[in-house]
Amino acid sequence: MAPWGERLAGVRGVLLDISGVLYDSGAGGGTAITGSVEAVARLKGSRLKVRFCTNESQKSRAELVGQLRRLGFDISEGEVTAPAPAACQILKERGLRPYLLIHDGVRSEFDQIDTSNPNCVVIADAGESFSYQNMNNAFQVLMELENPVLISLGKGRYYKETSGLMLDVGPYMKALEYACGIKAEVVGKPSPEFFKSALQAIGVEAHQAVMIGDDIVGDVGGAQRCGMRALQVRTGKFRSVPAGVIYPPSFQGMTMFSFCFVLQSKGGILSKSKGSMWAFTVLYVVNL
Amino acid sequence: MAARRALKAVLVDLSGTLHIEDAAVPGAQEALKRLRGASVIVRFVTNTTKESKQDLLERLRKLEFDISENEIFTSLTAARSLLEQKQVRPMLLVDDRALPDFKGIQTSDPNAVVIGLAPEHFHYQILNQAFRLLLDGAPLIAIHKARYYKRKDGLALGPGPFVTALEYATDTKATVVGKPEKTFFLEALRGTGCQPEEAVMIGDDCRDDVGGAQDVGMLGILVKTETRNVDGATIE
Repeated sequence: MAPWGERLAGVRGVLLDISGVLYDSGAGGGTAITGSVEAVARLKGSRLKVRFCTNESQKSRAELVGQLRRLGFDISEGEVTAPAPAACQILKERGLRPYLLIHDGVRSEFDQIDTSNPNCVVIADAGESFSYQNMNNAFQVLMELENPVLISLGKGRYYKETSGLMLDVGPYMKALEYACGIKAEVVGKPSPEFFKSALQAIGVEAHQAVMIGDDIVGDVGGAQRCGMRALQVRTGKFRSVPAGVIYPPSFQGMTMFSFCFVLQSKGGILSKSKGSMWAFTVLYVVNL
Repeated sequence: MAARRALKAVLVDLSGTLHIEDAAVPGAQEALKRLRGASVIVRFVTNTTKESKQDLLERLRKLEFDISENEIFTSLTAARSLLEQKQVRPMLLVDDRALPDFKGIQTSDPNAVVIGLAPEHFHYQILNQAFRLLLDGAPLIAIHKARYYKRKDGLALGPGPFVTALEYATDTKATVVGKPEKTFFLEALRGTGCQPEEAVMIGDDCRDDVGGAQDVGMLGILVKTETRNVDGATIE
């Protein structure tokens, strides 16, 4: 592999995934991942542009940012690219009135949306609200429509909470696709439009950006397909035996904190001063 | 083509072939008596996710069919057979009325998942538990993958969508044990000691009965009773 300096050449901006990179969600507001608060602070103190790019769809941006700030993160609502607002844009543009298969925590993001007489379904990470009844309601709405539209906020398979791994929106999206014989439209990572809007928000081109995430398909694969470089962190849902590696990340196997050290000491991007020596393991993924 | 060996086993479909709802198909009782006269092993086979063998036996006896419990083989029996072979302990997401067919199988500390038509189990917490077992390598056994079924209040999600959800979440494939899957016919024959080439399937469903049987090398006989597959798909 090429030396660090080369691999980080021209990086001007960083897109940060939230769940599994900054923190693990869970009871009591979740837990910050060791080193991540400081890592974000370092990034923000540098010349790099920073944008938070999340598929979080169980809570509103306000609630999410509130939780992260309580954990010590330097983050504000205006710095977050999230799927619910993106979906609302699409719903308005196409005159769609959704049945919302969502968790109550994110309902406020849809306050401006007409949900009467639904002509589509929006599915998000509903968690406990994925009851059979709610799934069946969504199914019945779709089966009644001549032109069934299913919009899915992300398609992740699962994510990590403090209590363990949790089914994400993806499996439930697939359930409705199978039941109705349709294909969902995905809003959020890894859709290219989503990454583009995040890059636009910080005025950085894809080839000048690095995406940092824990999801090999949603974060790494999606970012690389847009022309970005990507780091897969070894926290969050990262498992040392990944099921089917398809996208070899540009960098893998560190915590966000140690990657920022790499940016600092090897790329000379964050600061001119040399950091103290750190031993860190980098896992190289062989291109299958 | 090799000559067909002598017939040693006959599999007979139930709903639509032997009976329709609570009425025997005309001539069926007579036909069964004659079958008994021949020296063949008979099995009565059906897809079901909520009728135990005991339930089916009662219904058939009421219609004056002379049948014993060990001659009945259902998709639940197929699931049980698979569990015994793999020597696993299942998390059973099946209708309560199906539980008697799993009596004697250990279910504590599960390392396998069995899914049938059981809407009461298809909520988030239970599916998440199943998901975590599967991620750790537990096999997923599906009684069938029907997309939906008919209820009084309209169409309702079947087990298929939820099996698909778990397959996607864990990047694995379920073993489906109901007709027309090969597993069903092979397991039905396992207890008879007969090879597929020595057996015939008699049923009213072109795809599920005859097609499935032929795919494993059995002879298939289609009877002409009109029926509608209760799992939400019409036979064209």
